[in-house]
Amino acid sequence: MLRQPLSRALALSSPARVAPLAARRYADAVPAQPEKVEVFIDDQPVHVLPGTTVLQAAAQVGVEIPRFCYHERLAVAGNCRMCLVEVEKSPKPVAACAMPVMKGMRVKTNSDLTRKAREGVMEFLLVNHPLDCPICDQGGECDLQDQSMAFGSDRSRFTDIHFSGKRAVEDKDVGPLIKTIMTRCIHCTRCIRFASEVAGVDDFGTTGRGTEMQVGTYVEKMFLSELSGNIIDLCPVGALTSKPYSFAARPWETRRIDSVDVLDPLGSNIVVATRTNEVLRILPRTNEEINEEWLSDKSRFACDGLKRQRLVTPMLKDSRGNLAPVEWEDAVVAAARALRDCPPDKLLAVAGGLADAEALVALKDLLNRLGSEHVCTEHYFPTQGAGTDLRSSYLLNTKIANVEDADFVLLIGTNTRFEAPLLNARIRKAFIHKETDVALVGPKVDLTYEYTHVGDSASIVKDFASGTSSHEVMKRLQQAKRPVVILGADQLKSEEGPALLAYTQELAHKLQENLQDKEWKVLNVLQRTASQVAALDIGYQPGVGQALAAGPKVVYLLGADSGVVTRESLPEDVTIIYQGHHGDVGASIADIVLPGAAYTEKRATYVNAEGRAQQTLVAVSPPGKAREDWKIIRALSEVLGAGLPYDTLDEVRDRLSQVSPALVAYGDVQPNNYFAQARALAQSLQKPVSGKLDVQLKQLEDFFMTDAISRASPTMAKCVQAVLKQKNSPY
Amino acid sequence: MLQAIRSVARSSLSRSLPSLSSCSSRFASGDPSSRKEAPIIDNETLLAVHEGSTSANTIAVPAKVDISPITGVPEEHVKTRRVRIYQPPKNAMQSGTHNIHHWEMEFDTRQRWENPLMGWTSTGDPLSNMKIEFSSPEEAIEHCEKNGWIWYLDVPKTQKNEKPKNYGANFHWNRRTRVSTK
Amino acid sequence: MAGTGRETVRAAIRQVRPIMSTDFWEARRRALGLYKAFYRYIPYIVKYFDIPKTENDCRWKIREYFYKNACVTDIRVIDLLVLKGYMELKEITHSWSQKGHIMAYWQPTVERKPCDFICKFLTGVD
Repeated sequence: MLRQPLSRALALSSPARVAPLAARRYADAVPAQPEKVEVFIDDQPVHVLPGTTVLQAAAQVGVEIPRFCYHERLAVAGNCRMCLVEVEKSPKPVAACAMPVMKGMRVKTNSDLTRKAREGVMEFLLVNHPLDCPICDQGGECDLQDQSMAFGSDRSRFTDIHFSGKRAVEDKDVGPLIKTIMTRCIHCTRCIRFASEVAGVDDFGTTGRGTEMQVGTYVEKMFLSELSGNIIDLCPVGALTSKPYSFAARPWETRRIDSVDVLDPLGSNIVVATRTNEVLRILPRTNEEINEEWLSDKSRFACDGLKRQRLVTPMLKDSRGNLAPVEWEDAVVAAARALRDCPPDKLLAVAGGLADAEALVALKDLLNRLGSEHVCTEHYFPTQGAGTDLRSSYLLNTKIANVEDADFVLLIGTNTRFEAPLLNARIRKAFIHKETDVALVGPKVDLTYEYTHVGDSASIVKDFASGTSSHEVMKRLQQAKRPVVILGADQLKSEEGPALLAYTQELAHKLQENLQDKEWKVLNVLQRTASQVAALDIGYQPGVGQALAAGPKVVYLLGADSGVVTRESLPEDVTIIYQGHHGDVGASIADIVLPGAAYTEKRATYVNAEGRAQQTLVAVSPPGKAREDWKIIRALSEVLGAGLPYDTLDEVRDRLSQVSPALVAYGDVQPNNYFAQARALAQSLQKPVSGKLDVQLKQLEDFFMTDAISRASPTMAKCVQAVLKQKNSPY
Repeated sequence: MLQAIRSVARSSLSRSLPSLSSCSSRFASGDPSSRKEAPIIDNETLLAVHEGSTSANTIAVPAKVDISPITGVPEEHVKTRRVRIYQPPKNAMQSGTHNIHHWEMEFDTRQRWENPLMGWTSTGDPLSNMKIEFSSPEEAIEHCEKNGWIWYLDVPKTQKNEKPKNYGANFHWNRRTRVSTK
Repeated sequence: MAGTGRETVRAAIRQVRPIMSTDFWEARRRALGLYKAFYRYIPYIVKYFDIPKTENDCRWKIREYFYKNACVTDIRVIDLLVLKGYMELKEITHSWSQKGHIMAYWQPTVERKPCDFICKFLTGVD
């Protein structure tokens, strides 16, 4: 048992240290708290809500009771029995994870009975546990190892080893990501509960009983969830480990650097584990407001794409039309010459999905100094009406954490399961715990929870907005006290996009007007990439269509790899300068290639879909001759003569704070407003819509390779193949 | 002050010397240059003397202490480095939280590469492994300010509302928390 | 929350126990004493260590090192700097340090690091 002195436990909640929960609290009248009961944990009194378990009450005091099967985000199972503690006046020790406290209960977490119980449980667990520590990946970060050292006895009484021996179980194949060695399984059922509750893919279960009990999918079936990697974290022993990371490193030889993930728009917090300048694995970091402690598979396993297809030297097209490696001076001078010789209105810059805010602001400043206003993002957002001037039109205004308190969710043209898996996990959490119902307007996709499929025509949104719909979902929306409307930003690409946005804003406004809780925001727009919000904040024009049609002479691609910009759509004599870190679509059409740094190699600001600025930190150094993105642009500007006024990262961040202080307020979300004004500006755009709403990512195989890093990753390729193979299987 | 030391030393020495020692006369003589060994002065007496003379004397110095000239850290590693003060995150693979309740400070990462001889990690950065632990962020901030480093504080968002967990919810007849597989 | 930079504290002072000097003038006397001590030993440095520098070079070098710490206002830091200076002087006068240590003051083998942006960028320095 890992005890904290009371003073230390109290210091944990000092307001100076932790971010205030005020950001999450809405002005709903907090229901009157029931009377707290007093419980004594090791003679320390603590007041807890009635219904709290002994384990939670002890955690409040600072006493951590050892456990294997209990997890604070999963249902209580109570089958490992490691949390047994002695309670006075109870004949048997009590499972602390499941026992609700009673008034005046006295719990002893370090008494002889408790210790004997723990030793006994540990003894039984180790009876059938194989002696795999030297070859087990979990060694060094194994709960079983640590708890057996802390709470187990020093010797074994397992004499049957000389006769029947330990049990052995076959390994199960659940996909290319999870390596299962089921002999090590201690049947804590955490994976089963995760798959059933959080991931929504109810494939895991137990078969058999007693010694013959096996945890698995019973038939050989791949675990088809985008959150499947989290069971690797959950498993307390080495039964479920990461296949790409197997036998790669021990945890004590890795350096762990906190960072932020940019492969999806939510900006989940991660820990990058590195050794000798290579990224070994990516683990989630707890952030209650974004990703809790989960991480999607793409963010977790695409890190081996950081080693492949990297741009390591600047390249110039030689006389034969092939890109040849050159030195930095030559490349910068060539790029500067191209930029200088270009007439300002023929100069276009396109920002890709992984561009950081520092590079975005440097590029915009450079282009503005050269006289051009054509800085665009790859993804479109309607500029009619309020456009991108009002921040609330393009953000998730109900913050991700507040979605779990919603009581009705309407999804319009978005498959949150694959576009933002952790947002989907929150919706699922609300679905299970708060009885939230969900409705979807769009193609019928599997969202891991039941929802009402309203249809996929865009006119449904029009009917909802004008209130003329007779669908029951309309009634539910109007009666909901905390409704949430999430619109996918992909839908706004078509000509009907502005109208769709206008209708959604109208609907959200109508719903928000009638709410009692004035702090609750209804309208949410889910962007597709990590850089879109920062680009729109800085002032980029969303969408390249118009700018491409104008026939630019020089196109500067800042990591633009989604294939929106192609050589065919541009005039013959165009010069394309590509600055990025992977040799993907953009670099293949480029004339000048400037190698930049990926998100694990630079200290950069990314703004997530809710408008929260976060920073990634340097975990490894950029390979070869690659440099940080904003520095390349700054060097270009110096050679051009239009020198940008910042030399260090601090100065760039000062410039960012000049543009918007929200861009450097790391970790905070600004509350957004002006919904009424945005809707008023958009009212004239409410034209009849007739199209069908369709999403890009419908199936799991579409999820894995969506950007430059994941397309370069062999693990993601294996996942796609495995999912396709599973489709042909009868199970 | 030297007088005081001498007088103290003489008295304590004469107390502590064994009576059989033949060199007592040499030690007891007043001339310090004739001594072959350094006089043994115990710390308490010295501090007491020191306290007595200067307890009333204090000097006024700027409240912002800057000891970067005397720490010996080269200037480029004071001016160009950034310090991050944070609480180490909980290891995602384990459930224990004993080792995350302190604050640490670390420097920005510089280039590391694989040494061709043994495959170990080489770096040119003297502060690459510098991780100092503190029990509160204020101590860490004070330390950084004293040494002249630019710091920033990274407060983790780990506070959550603990809702009471209920085993009975697994078997509720009506709710979706009813467990579907075990 | 995320505070950055050196917080400027204007005119805030505190009372602390001194190390040696009790006021600025005493600290200044000590520093000047150190300077004079170094200055007087220069001919011996040039002679005993056989360095390829003239006495004038040594004088300018001493000036440079003293001016490097010219802006220190904390008396205790000045005291410690003076103490460290005396330690180095002791090492020089007793010949515990050798020619290489004396020449290291001129840093003859240290390459100048680039300080403007474009040179730093091209060489890949942080």
